[in-house]
Amino acid sequence: MPINLSHFQALLLFALVIALAFAFLTKRRAGERFRYTVWAFLMFLLVAVALGWAMYPLSR
Amino acid sequence: MEESAAIPAEQPTPTGKNPAVATAVTIAGWLVPGLGHLLLGKWGRALAYFLAVGTLAIAGVALRGNIYSPVGGDAFDRLGFLADLGAGVFYFIARAVADGTADVSRAAGDYGTRFFATAGVLNLLCMLDAREIARGRKS
Repeated sequence: MPINLSHFQALLLFALVIALAFAFLTKRRAGERFRYTVWAFLMFLLVAVALGWAMYPLSR
Repeated sequence: MEESAAIPAEQPTPTGKNPAVATAVTIAGWLVPGLGHLLLGKWGRALAYFLAVGTLAIAGVALRGNIYSPVGGDAFDRLGFLADLGAGVFYFIARAVADGTADVSRAAGDYGTRFFATAGVLNLLCMLDAREIARGRKS
């Protein structure tokens, strides 16, 4: 079934899944994994939004 | 997950350093994401990897991303095929059910292509993780 996600929804999904997978790949304890997932997820969002704004002048 | 509490960090697994086991685990991990870890008794990681790779692969198909075929036209197509192939059974299912449905004229379709390729590359990482565990280099 085809779905249609907005740019931000796709970013959220991608960031969440990759943050979770990297947490399981690199950390071995549940607490560490949780903290890493939250940190990586927020960094994905922060960097993506920052890059978006950095490229804003080029879109005009 | 539970297995992390049961096995201290850096402790070799009981299967340790058997090349045949490591090869079997590697192939199983490629074919079905997480199966390599499941064979090693790491069910928590197995479930997490299966869900992560499966979510990305299904999202890639649902977003109508391009699933590359082995007969790609240029180097980028061949690289895309190798990345997609990393998703194991998800690649073959996607080729069977989503052949010809790609629509990369929209941003969502282009995201779908990247989602599926990421699923494949992520599964390759998981596969190597299982191999290192089977060889006793990781816990």
